[in-house]
Amino acid sequence: MIGYVARRLVDLVFVLLGVSVLVFLMVRFIPGDAVEIMLGANTDITPDRVAALRHGLGLDLPIHVQYWNWLTGVLHGDLGTSIWTGRPVADEILARAPATLEITLLALALALVLALPLGVVSARARGSAGDLVVRLLSIVGLTLPTFWVGVLMLLVFSLYLPGWPAIGYVPFATQPLGNLARMALPVVAVSLPMIAGLTRILRSSLLEVLGSDYVRTARSKGLAERPVLYKHALRNALIPVVTVIGVQLGYLLSGVVVIEQVFAIPGIGRLIIGAINQRNYPLIQGIVLVITAVFVVVNLLVDLAYAWIDPRVEYE
Amino acid sequence: MRTRIGLALVTLVAAFSLAYAQKGTLEVAVDQAPVGLDPDIVTAFSSFAVVNEIYEGLVGVNAQLQIEPALATSWTVSPDGLSYTFELRQGVKFHNGREMTSADVVYSFDRIMDPKTGSPQASRFNEVAKAEATGPYQVTFTLKEPFAPFLSNLTNLFVVPKEVVEANGDLQKVAVGTGPFELDQVVPDTYVLLKANPDYYRPGEPKLAAIKFNVVPEASTRAAGLRTGTYQLLPTVDPVTAETLKKTSGVTVLGTQDLAYSLLGLNTSRKPFDDPRVREAINYAVDRSEIVQAVYLGNAVPGGPISPALKDWAVPTSDFPCYTPSVAKAKQLLADAGYPNGFSTTIITFGTIKEVADTAQVLQAQLARVGIDAKVDVEEFGKFVQDWKNSNFDMFVSLNGGSVDPDGYLYRTFITGGSTNVFKFSDPSVDQLLKQGRTTPDTAQRQAIYDNLQKQLACTGPIVHIAYGTLFTALRDNVQGFQQMPTRGLTYLRETSLP
Amino acid sequence: MANVGRFFVRLRHNRVGLLGFVLATLVLGAALLGPWLTQVDPLRQNVLARFQGPSLGHLLGTDNFGRDTLARILYGYRTSIAVSFGAVALSTLLGSTIGLLAAYLGGWIDRLLMRLMDVLLAFPIILLAIAVLAVLGPGGTNTALAIGVVYTPIFARLARGPALTVLSWDYVAAARAVGASGGRIVLRHVLPNILAPILVQTTLSLSTAILVEASLSFLGLGTQPPTPSLGLMLSQSRDYMLISPWVSIFSGLAILLASLGFNLFGDGMRDLLDPTLRGRDV
Repeated sequence: MIGYVARRLVDLVFVLLGVSVLVFLMVRFIPGDAVEIMLGANTDITPDRVAALRHGLGLDLPIHVQYWNWLTGVLHGDLGTSIWTGRPVADEILARAPATLEITLLALALALVLALPLGVVSARARGSAGDLVVRLLSIVGLTLPTFWVGVLMLLVFSLYLPGWPAIGYVPFATQPLGNLARMALPVVAVSLPMIAGLTRILRSSLLEVLGSDYVRTARSKGLAERPVLYKHALRNALIPVVTVIGVQLGYLLSGVVVIEQVFAIPGIGRLIIGAINQRNYPLIQGIVLVITAVFVVVNLLVDLAYAWIDPRVEYE
Repeated sequence: MRTRIGLALVTLVAAFSLAYAQKGTLEVAVDQAPVGLDPDIVTAFSSFAVVNEIYEGLVGVNAQLQIEPALATSWTVSPDGLSYTFELRQGVKFHNGREMTSADVVYSFDRIMDPKTGSPQASRFNEVAKAEATGPYQVTFTLKEPFAPFLSNLTNLFVVPKEVVEANGDLQKVAVGTGPFELDQVVPDTYVLLKANPDYYRPGEPKLAAIKFNVVPEASTRAAGLRTGTYQLLPTVDPVTAETLKKTSGVTVLGTQDLAYSLLGLNTSRKPFDDPRVREAINYAVDRSEIVQAVYLGNAVPGGPISPALKDWAVPTSDFPCYTPSVAKAKQLLADAGYPNGFSTTIITFGTIKEVADTAQVLQAQLARVGIDAKVDVEEFGKFVQDWKNSNFDMFVSLNGGSVDPDGYLYRTFITGGSTNVFKFSDPSVDQLLKQGRTTPDTAQRQAIYDNLQKQLACTGPIVHIAYGTLFTALRDNVQGFQQMPTRGLTYLRETSLP
Repeated sequence: MANVGRFFVRLRHNRVGLLGFVLATLVLGAALLGPWLTQVDPLRQNVLARFQGPSLGHLLGTDNFGRDTLARILYGYRTSIAVSFGAVALSTLLGSTIGLLAAYLGGWIDRLLMRLMDVLLAFPIILLAIAVLAVLGPGGTNTALAIGVVYTPIFARLARGPALTVLSWDYVAAARAVGASGGRIVLRHVLPNILAPILVQTTLSLSTAILVEASLSFLGLGTQPPTPSLGLMLSQSRDYMLISPWVSIFSGLAILLASLGFNLFGDGMRDLLDPTLRGRDV
């Protein structure tokens, strides 16, 4: 086990290194130049001035030197400085992280709370009308684009519940109720596909477990249906659910990027869309690196938890 | 205990210095966060919306587009038109408490002209030889030659305090002006909060205690926010949203003729657009009233090189023969130019302004009728600006900002080598008229020159002018005293109040 | 061929899978036959006839430029299906090849390839797609490429796992030992055994690709106007929901139909092709 963890950690370092190279190259290949875009429609500026600005940002250095400078900075805990605001990239990210984190965690919680009963009901009543409804609804949930659900909910609320504070963001610390009221719609919109996805996974994995030998044995020993379901089957059926949560988090984040745009929430999604439009190289690099790092670590933890829950798993 | 007394004293003093009550925070929703706040550097409209509340010039523009006194109370022009002397208002204070004097005006002018600043305003003042403090409250500008648009260009000379510039390098992140509101807080991508300037010189203004510019990228979200009362003012509303908001109770939609215009730009350094007959053919192919209906839902007027809002200057479009669409004439002209079967080309445009991208789509369909096969490339805005600047296009569709003086519309855009002449257009007779137009002081003579120019440029110029939209502003009924400006400026926020 | 025939016989007894098959066929039919099903040009504008509800002249109404919504949906299916098929074909081919190579060659090549896949997988999909499109520029083909790149590691992982298992089987190991060529082993023994999970994942990916295309269009990076694509129609019609909701409703339903079809068909295929796969949703 310790050897496995060590090898995974080494791999993790290489993955992050790969990500850093990839991001750095991609950002440079985006057509458009940070300085030109910063100057906007200003046609009166002299070429000297443009060159000076570029030099000040270190953009006139050879690309491998730029990468090396950035990498050494990152290794010393310095993600660089945002070109437009002049603030450290780390500060920019930290300032936006709470909103994104809150939506993501609330959506995850909501999805788990709803998907568990739905999946159990659907699996227990396999083939019934209720099962069919749950299955169809779960596909509908996977089908509706998040932005469309968000716009529609906002429209409906503004027409029929005009008192509801649906737009924008206030920190939980300053206005707990206002924060939760504003989070409600985006969280529902973002979690719909995840609810649907988890329900489907739980249903099929429960069916598989319920059909397995040891459940049949438990039943034949005369155990009542409920304990069989909740003590044995559900626990085992949850394992695949846990393993996909890491992957699902990635999908969830996609929804969050879009929904922040709809509900005017100042999160990481808005930050990166703005950074790309501005060709704010250090900011794009920083955000992608941090998000992928979080993502990779979460997936590693999930894998380790999986190995720990289910000792039968072999470490490749 | 001492601090509490101190606080109480401060409150007391503040209460006495205000002869009236400033109250309420106006919640404004804008589509973009300001990109920097330095009035001499920024180009984005999102920045100017905020900067205009914080800084002022010697003169300003009112809703009727007339020049009116601001930091200067009066001015005199020498008989030869070469020297302008301004008397400054006395006792005006910057937000940092220091009094504004003639030295600040001269400093602000020199800062714009300094190439190190890289100010986009500099080209507006190329005709100015120097600015001098001729007294503590008097400034004299000396021109190289008579320059008719000088006063209207002067509205872009914002007075900034030297010590703040020097302490911060520039004014992108700090803001200290003389305007009705001062900068309180900037939360990136979330909001910019301005609070009332308690020492503002206009009596009884500003009436609001604060203005919050909320950044809301989605149009439908801004509209929903106005309907629910989360926001009280949307400064620019697209025509589709305006139509739906007009039917909403508790919401008023204001409309005025925009100075900005949508256009189809042609690269005259590339074939076939170097041929004036092709440019004229395109004008005949374009059905402007159809675009007004399709894109603006009827809320726009077809226009020529100058906005119909400038009533003293604009030539009616009925004087431009090519504004009567005719597929036959267009095809004839194309055939004359050697393109009997039309040609293939590309239109670049961008998606951030809906009317612009929509106009490109309708234009594409109209050009197809005369055999011009145009591919529409909707570019990301930053890329579009670069292609535009570098004349890297066949055709483009965009929105051009306007001006209160005809020179602002025409000079930079059509003069050979002009800073926004991205079309590489060059016509000696146009150049000559443009120079005459700005150096002729007499208004009647100027009008004749610009009438001539408009007729020359409308059908065979490098720009196919499309339409001047109605500028919509939507506000809650409880917002009082706001007036819309054709310039898109939010000058009247200083007179706006909440109950 | 006999296998295919048996598959369809069994599909007849799987109601959900059958429904999915019918829907998917309808959607594919619409995409392939679109130009023959309607005489109306999806780009033809008629401003005077805009914002119409369903009528005999325009069965599904018209949009803000007075274009026929039915024609646009039929042509929109073409674009959306082309983008999603292109993306999934690219990722299936590329991903399975990488996965098979990694499994067969093993050792440091395996580790290198799979860590490369991990690098791609480490990106949240939307960020990777946005980044690829930012480099390539927006548009239909590039959207397919971007989504294809994003989905590649999923297929690589999916192919490698079962391939490793098959390669460890005794008779395959024996074939290897007696010197059967690598290509032969992979084609004869490995590929048939890993086809089922890949096919299932392919159908499921088809429906999610349509959605990713829609989200990218919403962000202005996907298919570009005036080309009709379902995602673009849904995204652009949101501005007109209060004036005329028809385009929004019908393009939403069209996406739902396609997604439902591919999903249910995928479910059915999973049930039939490989019972052991149940519960291994990716």
